[in-house]
Amino acid sequence: MVLPPGRFRTVEGPFAPPIDHQWVPVSRRLAHMRRTVLLTLVVPVVGVVAGLLFTLGWLPGATALAVAVLAVGWGWGVIGRNWRSWGYTERADDLLVVHGAMFKKLVVVPYGRMQLVDVEAGPIERLFGLVTVKLHTAAATTDARICGLAPDEAKVLRDRLTALGEAHAAGL
Amino acid sequence: MEPAPAGPVGEPGRRLHPLTPVALGGRVLGILVVFIAFSGLDSSTGSSSGTSGGGVLPYVIFAAIFAMLIMARGFVAWLTTEYWVESGELRVDSGLLQRRSKRVRLDRLQSVDVLKPLSARVFGLAELRVTTAGTEKASVRLRFVNLGVAQGLRAELLGRSAGLGSGVAEAPEHPLVVVPHGTLIGSVLLQILSWRLVMIVGGSVLLIVESSAGTGRHQAAAGAAVAVLFSVLLILGHTIWRRVSTLWNFTVAESPDGLRIRHGLLSTSHQTVPAGRVQAIRIHQPALWRPFGWAAVEINVAGYAGNRESQNTMLLPVAPRSFAEWLVSRLLGTVVGSVPVMKPPTRARLRAPVWWRYESAGSDGRVFLTSHGVLSRTVEAVPHERTQSVRLTAGPWQRGLGLATVHLDSTRGPVKIRARFRDATEARAILDAQAERSRHARRHSAAPLAAPTPANATTANTGNPLGNGSGPVMPPPIGSLPSRFGPDSVGP
Repeated sequence: MVLPPGRFRTVEGPFAPPIDHQWVPVSRRLAHMRRTVLLTLVVPVVGVVAGLLFTLGWLPGATALAVAVLAVGWGWGVIGRNWRSWGYTERADDLLVVHGAMFKKLVVVPYGRMQLVDVEAGPIERLFGLVTVKLHTAAATTDARICGLAPDEAKVLRDRLTALGEAHAAGL
Repeated sequence: MEPAPAGPVGEPGRRLHPLTPVALGGRVLGILVVFIAFSGLDSSTGSSSGTSGGGVLPYVIFAAIFAMLIMARGFVAWLTTEYWVESGELRVDSGLLQRRSKRVRLDRLQSVDVLKPLSARVFGLAELRVTTAGTEKASVRLRFVNLGVAQGLRAELLGRSAGLGSGVAEAPEHPLVVVPHGTLIGSVLLQILSWRLVMIVGGSVLLIVESSAGTGRHQAAAGAAVAVLFSVLLILGHTIWRRVSTLWNFTVAESPDGLRIRHGLLSTSHQTVPAGRVQAIRIHQPALWRPFGWAAVEINVAGYAGNRESQNTMLLPVAPRSFAEWLVSRLLGTVVGSVPVMKPPTRARLRAPVWWRYESAGSDGRVFLTSHGVLSRTVEAVPHERTQSVRLTAGPWQRGLGLATVHLDSTRGPVKIRARFRDATEARAILDAQAERSRHARRHSAAPLAAPTPANATTANTGNPLGNGSGPVMPPPIGSLPSRFGPDSVGP
């Protein structure tokens, strides 16, 4: 799969994609959604707190504002890095999902082990046209989900995974 | 829910035992009798302070109504439940207003248990529980049937599940081990003994001794300490009693249809885990067991962990370590001690100061095996064809040191397999290799894990290996196990 040049860091080291594969990125709207949520949650709180502190004097108010701006900036960056860290790729026998900027995770789910494929979209996700695909195996710890997929992509992926799961089905 | 279809033509379903409501109600009655006895004691001691007698009557009425309701429910259950064992499935129809029909595909069943709660045991009844993979909803409980019927059904289900057809007698079994009572009690006591417990008990005893001499506030402190001590001892006693009575007479036997596990003092349980349904296994040695050389063996079985009885993931509550290893080796088809394992790189000490030395992981042709623990030791293993998914994780600290952890996911249960603090490149290599190994193993293992046949077990037939104390090391009959793999997979 050819990716838009420059959009993605090449992942190297232990979390690199398998040979002859590349991480398929998730939609940029995932970062948009999370940043919107961050701002809508933080801005009113900061406004109220800073307003209260400004009544005490300009120094506490300005400090609070600066801290808030820094925190939001940091959160902004983290969301961006987290979004860039998401990726998945389909191999002949298994699906690989990688995510996490700070705490990195790479999960390999064999198609033959998939018990069901869940497609979920919460109200906020729907607002941004995103869905989450979850893969369940008999193990509760599998934790294989792909966030931030476009609905069409998710639908195609779901159908393909279901078909592959049936083709590879293995007993416990 | 649409009404359940009728059974096969001309074949009426089998019914539960008519005493079911009584046995169900009996349990509640028992609990309530104890409760009333306690409240009776309460009111008799409290009667001196004015609020005299008559306090028990409402409880009795409440208890009676409650028990009646339970019994009515049991009666309805008995009235409406029917079951059939058909060619490939067990079918249970139940429900008064909302009929439901559960079908269990016998080739999917994970285990068959016969449970005898005290209230049912009194009437010679038993509960049959058939577990399949998946949630608790997917398992079927027949409460209650005649004990003989339950045993017959178990034999029939397991026989059919193994493809032997109907009408087979229960397969002969071959006892492997009976845990002696003394060893069991000792092990439970030692396992419960912990630093926290010693601190709490020691602290309150100290407080009592220190402050009993004083007056006023000191005495109040002493009183509080006595209360703490009393409640801790009460909880402790209850815990010890529950564990000992559940694991009493723990017997492990093997038979062609799987491992048979029997245990229990008042309420007994008889589980059969078909060979090959063991998803993962671990040998655990709490710190205080190690001077005695004891070890416990626990297993992950799909569909088990959701149930209340946590003890049914226990394969062997206590045994000499050599025996535990022998049993595990036998189940896995590979000698536990012979799996080549490796330690994390030395720089892992910056992440895990002391315990990095005690981490190790490795694999052979059949299993992936890890061990860890400084004081208490745990060895965990999962057969390649039972691995669900493989994960690689690394937090900032580990990544800074170039380390990573590999997780092998198994079904819910006590066994969690992680190779921690590996070199990052090595960890990725393990991840890829395990994905490949389990893919290969899945493809080449249509048959479940080899069932240890009694013919292989002649060496174990010399009696109770625990009885003679030495814990003989018996070589697992690897050579006689049918190979589950292609010719390209090598044993140890």
